[in-house]
Amino acid sequence: MKFSGRQLAAHLARRAGFGATPDELDRYVEISYEDLVEQFLDTSGASYTPDDLIFRRHVDIHTMQGHVAAYWAYRMISTDKPFHEKIALFWHQIFATGENKLNNLGSLNNQVDMFRRHGLGRYDDLLVELSKDPAMIIWLDNHDNHNGSINENYGREILELFSMGVGNYTEEDIKECSRAFTGWNVKNGEYLSKMAFKDSIWPYGRIQWHHEYREDDHDDGEKQFLGESGRFNGEEVVEIICRQDATANFIARHIYNFFVADEVPVPQWGETPPQDPEAVAFLANAYKLYDHDIKSVMRVLFNSDFFKAAVFQRVKSPVELIIGTLRATGEYRVPVGGDVGLFGAMEEGKFMGQTLLDPPSVEGWHTGKEWINSGALVERVNFASSRVGDVSKPGVKSLISRIVKILGKDFSCTELIDASIEVLGTAQIDMSTRETLIKEMEDEGSFNLDDQIGTENRIANLLTFLVSTPEFQLA
Amino acid sequence: MKYLKTIGFNSNQPVGRGFNYPYDIDFCSDGRIFMINRMGGMNKAGVRIQIFTFEEEWLEEFGSEEFTIPVCLSFDEDDNVYITDEFLNEVKIFDPSGKFLRKWGNEGPEDARIQGPAGIIHHPDGFVYLVEQFANRISKFTKDGERIKSWGSEGSGAGQFKLPWGITVDSSGNFYVSDWRNDRIQKFDPDGEFLENFGESGNGEGQFHRPSSVAVDSKGFMHVADWGNERVQVLDPDGAFYQMLEGEATLSMWAEEWLKVNLDEFDLRRDSSLLIEDLPDHLKTAYHKASQSEPVFWGPVSVKIDLEDRLYVTEHSRHRIQVFEQSN
Repeated sequence: MKFSGRQLAAHLARRAGFGATPDELDRYVEISYEDLVEQFLDTSGASYTPDDLIFRRHVDIHTMQGHVAAYWAYRMISTDKPFHEKIALFWHQIFATGENKLNNLGSLNNQVDMFRRHGLGRYDDLLVELSKDPAMIIWLDNHDNHNGSINENYGREILELFSMGVGNYTEEDIKECSRAFTGWNVKNGEYLSKMAFKDSIWPYGRIQWHHEYREDDHDDGEKQFLGESGRFNGEEVVEIICRQDATANFIARHIYNFFVADEVPVPQWGETPPQDPEAVAFLANAYKLYDHDIKSVMRVLFNSDFFKAAVFQRVKSPVELIIGTLRATGEYRVPVGGDVGLFGAMEEGKFMGQTLLDPPSVEGWHTGKEWINSGALVERVNFASSRVGDVSKPGVKSLISRIVKILGKDFSCTELIDASIEVLGTAQIDMSTRETLIKEMEDEGSFNLDDQIGTENRIANLLTFLVSTPEFQLA
Repeated sequence: MKYLKTIGFNSNQPVGRGFNYPYDIDFCSDGRIFMINRMGGMNKAGVRIQIFTFEEEWLEEFGSEEFTIPVCLSFDEDDNVYITDEFLNEVKIFDPSGKFLRKWGNEGPEDARIQGPAGIIHHPDGFVYLVEQFANRISKFTKDGERIKSWGSEGSGAGQFKLPWGITVDSSGNFYVSDWRNDRIQKFDPDGEFLENFGESGNGEGQFHRPSSVAVDSKGFMHVADWGNERVQVLDPDGAFYQMLEGEATLSMWAEEWLKVNLDEFDLRRDSSLLIEDLPDHLKTAYHKASQSEPVFWGPVSVKIDLEDRLYVTEHSRHRIQVFEQSN
């Protein structure tokens, strides 16, 4: 299927961001698709709701003691560089770290910030920073990984879940990897991990964490790792990991799954080959060709034919659905003291199957069709329809005025539906759904454009129908 | 100023001793300290006023269910306490026992209602002066809420404001306003005429980042809660930089009592170093230093001077008050 420039721009905006408003799409199509890709890839100088306003209006976000998902959401819904947040979300899905064990959301927020700083750089650097990240250290118990008494948890997961995947290393490699990461700890780790595990806020609230390398606790002995030998420290182990073909393939498949089309859940990757092996191999080759530079891989991905053809081939994650909806409705751009609506919106993600910053396990979330079950679908539909049906929201007003502008004075119900679909940026809807909507609109009678409120409400009602269709669940 | 002691500790319970996001304090003439306990997020149940003493005797509390986003408080000469709420757009008034007396601000024609009340101060002239942050103005009211006059508008010129916050008055009746998003303190005469500005944007001496509160001691020294820089600055009566306070909290009486019955944490804490001197480069900001280091200020939101010229710094994010005394 051949897509128009506007459809491709909307596709890119859904994958590299959280969708685009009609006004944003107007700007996007003024430049070439290739230039638009570069625009998304340039994450420097992002502008978003400033921290001082958020902290003044929501004092508990200042401490990061609660509602940090809402803090991230303020950034995601207001940023003019949405790919910066999307790449952080991508790594959060892979390096899934959760507040339920840490009880230190401030340090988890700092991890997300690390994804912003390093998420588009060399994978080697990202894995070193991840290994130093205090939230990850406590999450996978590396503060208990000592010279002469290793804890294998991090050594295992960096191989199994963060780089090579099951079947590409031995149990001995895990032990040697763990030895290399001995001494990679957290300042005051004994006390602060105790506070975390007891969920202690005493005496003066939570204290955020930072990395401490303890040379006297590091095993500096000779190690045998993935066929190589040396007195490896963590950095050398990461360097060896990152030049393995298995790592290239593993990261390529993750990128494909998140940005192109849904794969089966990660635990099944060992026995189920990629649905598009050529595309995954193409990405793995780019990873090697560009010296593990993630931004370069993303550039060739977004410009590839298989990416451009994969329109609406993914189920939106709950966070993508929530943030995309709130960006469309223009809500929560300026925080208001006492208005905890965004807190509630992010908590609705839990009922859709995704609580940001609180993954079900270190494996992260199962994605794709597994996002959808009857309960989650009802939540998703209710969330989106309740928002776009509210004509008081600035983004909804803007959508409606755009639809009216497209239609002019004289239009049919079919034209109204087509204009609404275009403005919402959703998929072409199923023919039977379309016929039902046309009949519904025709049964309500003709429009009286002099009745502005009545017109707005009827169009808003149509928008609620459209975001309730199965097609709206796709990205 | 010289560090004296720390009052309070964290408790997220909706009743009883312990602070959760303390936001402002003021002193009753009998020496009792009244404190806004702000709580956080959706936890409205514990938003209340706690009463305690300098000696850390916890006395009582009131006001649960009365507030949404309380911001500042001030006693009048009759020891009635006036408390602002930026969400409800109200000033609520209670007697010294915590009994509700009356409220005003959110009634009448829309253009007469107060807009985002923040700082509040009782002037020796007998009137109440209120910072209306969303209207970017200072307003003079009778104690019953009749608006007498206002001054200020949005902007960065002399006498203009961007989301102002705290207000105080000196012994001559001059006003000092924390002009929050202009990163300065503005001084006005008792009639509201602009006198001068202090400070500019930055993190050097005499520079501010989002100052939230200002207090003037008996000698005319200004103490500024340099909220965004996580510190308190003292300026001399001419406005020149005089002293930087970064916080040096010790264990309060309540904190010691808690640790005595939680010996596992007590032992590990004793072996830790909670004053962090060095951080990785990406964490070398005022915010991160404060969040990673326990003794220093984190969220120094309010400064108040008591009758003995002691400075009280309320830290919303460490849930405590650090007290300083005059050093000479």
